[in-house]
Amino acid sequence: MSTDFQKTNAKAIPSTRTVAVNEADHMPHDYSTTPGGTLFSTTPGGTRIIYDRKFLLECRSSPLARTPPRGLPTIPGVTSPPTKEPNAKAVNGELLNNNSIVAPETSNAEMFKANNQLKEFKCF
Amino acid sequence: MNNKFDALKDDDSGDHEQDQGSPKDSEKEKIEDDDKEQIIIKKKMVVPGAGEHPLQYNYTFWYSRRTPGRPASTQSYEQNIKQIGSFASVEQFWRFYSHMIRPGDLTGHSDFHLFKEGIKPMWEDDANKMGGKWIIRLRKGLASRCWENLILAMLGEQFMVGEEICGAVVSVRFQEDIISIWNKTASDQATTARIRDTLRRVLNLPPNTIMEYKTHTDSIKAWEDFHGLVNASGGR
Repeated sequence: MSTDFQKTNAKAIPSTRTVAVNEADHMPHDYSTTPGGTLFSTTPGGTRIIYDRKFLLECRSSPLARTPPRGLPTIPGVTSPPTKEPNAKAVNGELLNNNSIVAPETSNAEMFKANNQLKEFKCF
Repeated sequence: MNNKFDALKDDDSGDHEQDQGSPKDSEKEKIEDDDKEQIIIKKKMVVPGAGEHPLQYNYTFWYSRRTPGRPASTQSYEQNIKQIGSFASVEQFWRFYSHMIRPGDLTGHSDFHLFKEGIKPMWEDDANKMGGKWIIRLRKGLASRCWENLILAMLGEQFMVGEEICGAVVSVRFQEDIISIWNKTASDQATTARIRDTLRRVLNLPPNTIMEYKTHTDSIKAWEDFHGLVNASGGR
């Protein structure tokens, strides 16, 4: 292996570049994208981890993001259906906050209206 | 105030009288809090799993709900706030979020809090005590979408204010919902202005939306004044 490190052509990572925007149509659609594209998901030197909304939403469909979290407390009406009735559980499985499944808002909202009285929960 | 949990009570609705406990109750709650702190310390810091996308900071989800009517004294805090869990990666965040109800579907007087791990959603926490919050009042129907946009911006470090962000809260109330974002240094106007501008951008708020900044010292003072008034007039 060579130890000759003097011939390297490495350059510093550019921190910014300038992109002229003359028309409103040329502005990026997403709020977190800069004109000309977003250069880094990490800032130069790796000082800060930045994600835009679109990327975060894409991560939601990853299998890693779909398993139930370890140690999720059971809070009726918050992390689990408000009642233990058999038909309540059948509504849309367990996914309470999952926008990607068809119309969970409607079914959950109706379920919650029907069960207006939240049961008390215990801490720890 | 000798009961730090009172800080969790809503300072916007003005109906605090429901929540008063006797001094004896406060003592008991303090002891329970000490126990709880030890439990939290014993827990291991959560880390990103293999193949997951790490976040700049670890965060903890909390949930609180005011019990209807007067609280059953000693249990009032335990019934008021609960840790849902902590996460260190994007994927771990979605696991929790996808198993929680949307704030717009919560019933009663409830709050979700999402704070950096180690910062309690309380005015008196060391990270919060010099701080304040931007408050946005929302008409019913907007909370779920705004909350999601707010926390995605926070987790993705869109605010660009260094270490200043402490956490975010969504409060479900009878007539309206309130979202807020807390920062460390209320006197840092460059920071609070940048947070305000980022909020406008990421939440896509209607132009006439009113945004209010409130320091935690003002919140504490208002709370104490209110309770002094109640006690002087006979209290409950």
